[in-house]
Amino acid sequence: MSSGLLSKERIIAGPGFNRWLVPPAALAIHLSIGMAYGFSVFWLPLSRAIGITASAPGDWKISTLGWMFTLFFVFLGSSAAVFGRWVEGEGPRKAGVAAAFCWGGGFLISALGVRLHQILLLWIGSGVIGGCGLGLGYISPVSTLIKWFPDRRGMATGMAIMGFGGGAMIGSPLANLLMNHFKTPTSVGVQETFVTMGLIYFVAMLAGAFGYRLPAPGWQPAGWTPPPPQEKAMITQRQVHVNQAIRTPQFWLLWVVLWMNVSAGIGVIGMASPMLQEVFGGKLIGVAGALRDLSEDQKTQVATIGAGFAALLSLFNIGGRIFWASMSDYLGRKRTYFIFFALGFVLYCAAPSAGRAAVVPLFVAIFCVILTMYGGGFATIPAYLADMFGTVHVGAIHGRLLTAWSAAGILGPILVNYIREFQIDRGVPAAQAYNTTMYVLAGLLVIGFIANARVRPVAERYYMTDDQFARELAGKR
Amino acid sequence: MERPSASSWAAVAIAWILVGIPLAWGIYQTLQTAVKLFR
Repeated sequence: MSSGLLSKERIIAGPGFNRWLVPPAALAIHLSIGMAYGFSVFWLPLSRAIGITASAPGDWKISTLGWMFTLFFVFLGSSAAVFGRWVEGEGPRKAGVAAAFCWGGGFLISALGVRLHQILLLWIGSGVIGGCGLGLGYISPVSTLIKWFPDRRGMATGMAIMGFGGGAMIGSPLANLLMNHFKTPTSVGVQETFVTMGLIYFVAMLAGAFGYRLPAPGWQPAGWTPPPPQEKAMITQRQVHVNQAIRTPQFWLLWVVLWMNVSAGIGVIGMASPMLQEVFGGKLIGVAGALRDLSEDQKTQVATIGAGFAALLSLFNIGGRIFWASMSDYLGRKRTYFIFFALGFVLYCAAPSAGRAAVVPLFVAIFCVILTMYGGGFATIPAYLADMFGTVHVGAIHGRLLTAWSAAGILGPILVNYIREFQIDRGVPAAQAYNTTMYVLAGLLVIGFIANARVRPVAERYYMTDDQFARELAGKR
Repeated sequence: MERPSASSWAAVAIAWILVGIPLAWGIYQTLQTAVKLFR
């Protein structure tokens, strides 16, 4: 495969190209890499890879396998930050192909790891190499979509990032089907499943990468003219270089905005289902008593309802991505985040009251709305960055901002786990131990609200001059 | 700016069907699990 086939020049769209072909190409990549969220489906079978029917000596512990999640999100954020500039320079097709090799190849290396029973190969294969594929794949379509949809930036990036939220919905049941198909009395079927899924994702991502097209310089949608700069001061028509962008207070304020929104959301995702089960206990299945007082059979029924709640939340998570990102095109990005933080604060504080009042539908509704705003935060941030810094370097700037996601992956779970342990150690009943956590997470939203309030248009000195911009364009051709 | 050709919309429909079918299947699978909450 020659580099020419992947180069930016080869993918400049001709006249009459339909821009609506680009979002499905982006979705093909995001739906593939979104399986990262669904990897827990492999933990139980992998924890008995030797014993087959039950864990045997030498089998991996679920906590050991769980490190893959940490590696995923650390390498997603760091590779997006490191390679963001490269993605902008080389174009989305080359980035998408690299992501396909990393993500698909990571599955194949992991399959070898299962065969040789070497956890290091799983960590390096899926965690490190696959994690780099996540970062490259995640940012590959962002600036392309923003350039194709200057009139609907939020909706365009929301469609792609919705795919990342929805990938596990396809991948998890597919993995279960494949593991059931491949399992034998001597194998749990994960090795073959990794190979099959790796190949499926490789092909799907290549198809997506080869579907990418870039608009010709100066292209605009038919009948659309950019709004005059003075009318919408929060949307610039000028450009900030990625190296300048990270020197602006706006970048770091938006970094905090994403960090706080995602930290609070990750915290809620981790505790929503156990909170429902412990707060309502037997009420969920129509019997009296707390969760600890139920029989094993009743606890299983409650756990099934908890799994249903988690599934419902994942639907609202992906729905929120397209809904809020599209709404932000009309509301404005800053106002959209104000809604996330203000409404979020009210809902996080109201959740314990809904639990105390034992109103299950209200409790469920609160969490569903919260999850829409968690997903919406991810999907709206690329358009916010494009509004503040222009479209030329938005992919690279977005890549660097995603380090906030990695930081949130550390802060959110730590807050939730330690606050809960601290309270239980002090004798707080399990069902009530979540309340303080929800109030602390609401506090994170206050910080996010303040950071968002301080976002102003970028100062004149950070913008590229006309000469710099011309040199930048010439260098990219 | 030139408007997309009429035939390009057929390609758009095919592309969306190709990503829409697995996504719809995934949503259906998730709804089957989610419905347990309401039983």
